[in-house]
Order: sequence, then structure tokens, then C-alpha cells
Amino acid sequence: MKYDIAVIGSGMSGLMASIYLAEKGLNIAVVSKGDPICSVSSGCIDIAGTGEKTMESIDIFPLEHPYNKIGEKGITDSLQYFLDLMKEQGFNYLGDIGKNRNILTPIGKYRTTSLVPFTMEHADIEPGESFHIISFKDIKDFFPSYITGIFSNTGVSVFDAGTYTTMGIAAKMDNEDFLESFSKWIKLQNIEQKKIGIPAILGITKTRKIINYLETETGKIFFEIPTLPPSIPGLRLYRNIKSIAEKKGVSFYNTADITDFKKENDTIINITIKKPGRPDYVNADAFILATGSFVSGGLFLDKNIFKETVFNLPVYSPVDKELFNMDFFKLGHPLEKSGILIDENFKVLKSGYNNLFIAGSILAHSETMKYQCGHGMAIATGIAAAKHAEEHIK
Amino acid sequence: MKESFENCIRCTICVENCPVFKVNPEYPGPKQAGPDAERFRLDGIETVDKWITHCTQCKRCDFACPYGVDPSKLILKAQIRYVSKHRKSLPQLLFSNFHYIARLGSLFSVITNFITSLGMMRKLFKLIGLRNDIPFPEFRFKTLQRFRKKSIRSPNPVDHIKINKPKERKAAFFHGCYLNSNAPDEGRMIIAILEHFGIKVAVPDQVCCGLPALGNGDLVKAQGFANKNSKEFAKFIDEGWDILYSCTSCGHTLIYDYPEILGTDEGELISKNTWNLYEYLLLLKDEGQINFNFKPLKKVISYHIPCHLRGRGVPYPAVKIFKEIPNLNLHIQDINCCGFSGSYGFKEKNKETTDALGQIAVESLEDHNPDIIISDCGACRMQISNFTKTRIIDPIQIMYDALGL
Repeated sequence: MKYDIAVIGSGMSGLMASIYLAEKGLNIAVVSKGDPICSVSSGCIDIAGTGEKTMESIDIFPLEHPYNKIGEKGITDSLQYFLDLMKEQGFNYLGDIGKNRNILTPIGKYRTTSLVPFTMEHADIEPGESFHIISFKDIKDFFPSYITGIFSNTGVSVFDAGTYTTMGIAAKMDNEDFLESFSKWIKLQNIEQKKIGIPAILGITKTRKIINYLETETGKIFFEIPTLPPSIPGLRLYRNIKSIAEKKGVSFYNTADITDFKKENDTIINITIKKPGRPDYVNADAFILATGSFVSGGLFLDKNIFKETVFNLPVYSPVDKELFNMDFFKLGHPLEKSGILIDENFKVLKSGYNNLFIAGSILAHSETMKYQCGHGMAIATGIAAAKHAEEHIK
Repeated sequence: MKESFENCIRCTICVENCPVFKVNPEYPGPKQAGPDAERFRLDGIETVDKWITHCTQCKRCDFACPYGVDPSKLILKAQIRYVSKHRKSLPQLLFSNFHYIARLGSLFSVITNFITSLGMMRKLFKLIGLRNDIPFPEFRFKTLQRFRKKSIRSPNPVDHIKINKPKERKAAFFHGCYLNSNAPDEGRMIIAILEHFGIKVAVPDQVCCGLPALGNGDLVKAQGFANKNSKEFAKFIDEGWDILYSCTSCGHTLIYDYPEILGTDEGELISKNTWNLYEYLLLLKDEGQINFNFKPLKKVISYHIPCHLRGRGVPYPAVKIFKEIPNLNLHIQDINCCGFSGSYGFKEKNKETTDALGQIAVESLEDHNPDIIISDCGACRMQISNFTKTRIIDPIQIMYDALGL
């Protein structure tokens, strides 16, 4: 099959690139091996740092950081584009692109992020604030006492949902009868506080309806607290973004194991997807590589040899043989700087192909953990790579 | 297996995609049932427990895994082992042999359909562990095989040699049990459409693809079916025929299981030459050999994507074709499994899981207030019809109407 542009990777950066390009009327394919890490994330969009203002954090990022190839306006526009898309989809994300906020986590500590799904609109609890927690009988990995230990004037109620996994409870919430009985139970608890925190299980598909219903019925304000994976807010984020891409006409190749590619001089012609039976070939005028870093499988480290897994691109890394002698779990390990070096046009630096553009956490110097810029960087570089790819095929 | 299960990093993406885990608290999900338990199994420790049969083999975990682990295959092997160590239940025996039941059922269709609708028989169903609250599929006397008595059954038909053109397309149709015994009209439409596009169609002698036997833990029986089909269809491939399927589960078995778990001699050959009906038509269109020229069809349609079609991993071919039908408003539902999974849904023990998933799937299909719901899979259609009054049909009927045949 022949497409205008093929995007490899269906995480945040790949999907955002595909949506942007499909809106321009181009014929786009997204090729992915499986679901992305995005679907087990907290569902929040980190933009930069932990300070009050995001753009001030970016100012002190090192010059090599991918954000510096886009600039403040480019970053802000991309994130605004994301906010607009989610609004159109009916799954609003809230927050000020220029500001960070602190939201409550299951261990009672704060986590800094910037844009949050509407379910976490009220998750920025003030220190000492009084609120209520609703938990579930036997629920895995959610212990309200972590929170009550820090917020001492917090009440807790426990509901027996008849199941004990976050997926199971969220699926039940989508059912009207179950929701009604849950709402009736809340009313019987005579909760004093106005705000109610709840592990992130308020439905998989009908979250908007569920929150509206609960707030109208009980007169309370609800906010979700992200849980360990499986993470429902991450799943909702991924499914909504993918659904937007589908609506814009993007074609999806899933379970795609890319084993080979064809090139003519410096131009990539197609990629081969191996599977039982016949392989599939995806031809395109330009390719965007957004396969992520080590954990997503875009990069692979084998006995001190760094590999890029699709096109065997040169991988930059400041790490030498001392890799495992260092404090491995310390933030800012040099391993995090590893990735693909790019030029101003988001092409591979020097030895690159002329129709290949790179986006997302596979980029060298992105250090998403250290700089807390995960989804924000993915969105901004995804759009930036898409714009350069669009320019290229014109 | 694509890659070792040791690649699992416990990210739980498979768990997020597991329909059974979502609604049945007794099932620990693909991560634990697959790669986690496999570590113990390798050491010879018996971790196979009854809950392993809760898995429907929808294979969504395999499609979702970004690390190339196929949890469903690990689970399938554990299921086979569990069944081999325990006495087979009557439903398991019944559905392993569904091929024979379908053949006999059609031959004596009047009697069979009468009997299966009797109150007494329905009580007996319940007694042996089958559900009696959902209709049993009706068998048709005029099966596809019987109707095609005069059709091509050999790879070298006499008249065929005379008119053999170099670029002529020849398709050997694998109809499977359901299309043959329960939905032969749809089978006839498929053949009519293929012939409309100038494709020569053969309906070779064939037996069940083997999936029901595999799903009920009878590997030997499944291999028997697979060997028989492989031998027959390989003869056609050798003479330049392509294999076409419409039932997405049969197709998945032919392409994925014949060369792997069922391991037939001709498995690789079968796998390489087997095509989804719509993928095939799309290919011919891209090669400029055919043109659809659809008539307008002013309808809102919800398309329930069967799990085994989703697993092909290619952009849904029927969707690409239907986009060319003027005025058609098509919505895709591929997030939810219908929960039926062939024989799984007929078993009393799976009732709660099946019903909960059916309800979820139908709700999202009804979201767009469709005039019609379509789905390639006969079992999905059966399940969906239990939860909605909306008309539900095979997508081939839409194509048939839009072509004005």
C-alpha cells in the first residue's frame, strides 16, 4: 500500500503527528508493534520541570534538548492544538500551558504536571485541606492510609464493588444500574466534605456522564487519583487520541513487526512488516520514526552496543562501559541522554536519510524523566516532525 | 511464538485489553495466566487451574503487547494441557466435533431445528452445561456445499483449461462450518460478487478449520481437520488458485495456526496464499483489475470488528471498500469484544462473562443510532442479536446491495 507519509509508532508523538498530517488532507498510515506506554501512563501531560512556570523551566534546559529546536511558540501552539483536539473529542484536558500544577497521588504526595484530564480538575489539593476519600473493598495497590497519614482531617469510606481490580471497577461504573447504586451508597455515607477523591476508576468510556451524574446526585465535587498500571486515565488518553486519528482517516497497521526496509540512495521507499503468511509492505514518500526510547522498544542496548530497532540508525550515547557501575536508579543517569541526534529539520544528523523524520522520546538529550517533559515533548516534537515531513513531500 | 515470553516487562498493557479480566474477577488476566504462570510451568510446577478456561482466545493481548509476547498462545497451550488432564465436559466434546454436528444438523435440518427448539431439549442443554436461554443457530438444508453441487471442486476443471487466461484470477473459497450450514445465503452472495468481478470461484471439499476443537482443548482432532484441509487446498494453490475466506476466525486459524500450533506440512503454503475476501478485492482494485462502481446507500451503519479480524493488523479492508459507497455513514467499533467467542458463549459456566461483554459491545454499537449493524463473524452476529433489536447482517449484504446485484 502507498501512503503520503508513514508514521512508525502509535504513542503520543506518532499519533499527534498522524492527526496533524491527516487534517492537511494527506493519506497517512500509522505502523505499530503494540499499544504504547502512553496507555499505562497517569494520563497527565507534563510539559517541563517542577517550577511554577513551564516556559521558565525550558529556558534553563540544555541547548541540545529537543524543545530548543522548536521554540516557545512552537511548543505552546502544539499543546494548544492538543487541547483543541481533545475538546472537540469531548474528552477535555484542562490547565494553563504556561503553568505547572501539583496533583494528589495515591501515596499522599504531590506530583507536578501541567495539563490534566477533566477528571483531575480538582486534584490540586491545598496542604491541610479537608476532603474525603472513597476507596473500594480489596482494591489492589490503593491504600488510603498513605493519604490520611499526610492529610489528617480526611475521611475515608470503602465501597464493595464486587470486584477488586481498577479495570473491573471502571467497567462496572460504565453500567447505569451499578452507577446508580454507587451514587445511592455515597448519599448514605453522610460525607461532610465537599471534595471527594477517588482512585481513577470513573468509567472507561462514559467518564463524562459518570462524573456529571455523581456530582448532580450527591452535590459533591469529585476528582480522580491516578493509580498504578493498569492505569485507566492513560488508557482513556490513548484511546481518545487514537479515536481522533481514526476519525481523521488515518490507516492503522497493528501488531507490526518491521523486519526490513527498502531504500534508494538516501531515500526510504518502504518498510516490510513480517507476520505469519504474507508480509505487508508500507510505501510512503516520507517516514516519521516515533518508536520511543528503551522501554518502548525504539532503542535497544545489547552488551554496550546501542541499537535503533527499525532503520539501524546511529545512536548517540554518553554512556561507556561504566553503565552498570553507576548509581543506576539515580535521576539523570547518562543513559537517559541516549537517542538519535537530529538537525534543524528533524532529520537524522549528518548520515541520515532525506525522507526520514524523528519525533518523541527516541530523540537524544530528551531526558524526559529528569526534565519532566514526557507527553509535552512527545506532542511538540511529533507536530514539529510532521511539519518538516509535510514540507518535504510538497 | 514471535519472541520469548521472557520479553514481558509486566507493563499490563495486555491486561488493559483483556475483555474477560474486565468483567470476571475469577480470571487473573493475560499477564498472570500467560508469561507469569509460564515461569512456574517451565519448572514443571502445576499451575494450570480451572480459571485458565475463562480465556476466550480473542487474542487481544497478543495484538496489544508491544514486546512481541503472545500471552494467548501460552494460555492456549495451558488450556490444552488442562483439558488433557481432566475429563472432557460434554460441551467440550460437542463443540470439538462441531463439524460433524453441523453436517448432520443440515442434513436433517427440519428435525434438528425442531428438536433444538423443544422445551425438553432446552432442559437437557442446561443439564449438560449448555445455555438454554439463547437460541441455538438454525441449520439450513441447502448448505453451500450442497447448493454448489455443480461448482468447481477440482483445481483442474476440464472447461477451465480451455478458457485459462494468463491473468485470470482463481479463488478457492474456504467457507467454514457456519457459512456452509447456517448462513449459506451469505456464502452465495460472496460467490456471486466474486463472479461479478470475473473471478473464477471453486468450492473445494473441506472440513471444519479446526478452531472449535482447538478452543475446546482437543489438539489431535484439530490437527486432523487441519491436515485434511491443508492437503486439499494445497492442490489448488499449486495450480495457481488463491484461498479466500470470509469467516475471520477460520481465516485466522488458516493463516496463524496451520503453520504454528497445528503444524501441518502445507501450513506455510496455506498461510502465504490465504486472503481475507475484502483484502483480496482491495488488491484487485489497486491493481486496476476491477472497479466497484457502487450505487448510493443512504444508511447509518455500525461495524462490529471481530477480534480475529482486528488481529490481522492491517487497516480494515471492508472499511476501505465501503468508503467508496456514496451516502454511507459508517462507524467502527473495535474496542470491545462481543464476548461470545464461538463455543465459549454457549456454555452455561461462561454466561455472566459473555452477557456482560455483549452488553458493553452493543451499547457502543448503538451509540450512533445505526439503521444496521454489520459484522463478518457469524458468532459475533448471533451474540449481538441477543442484545439489540437493530438489524444485524454480514457486511457482504451491504456490498451486494451497493453493487446492485
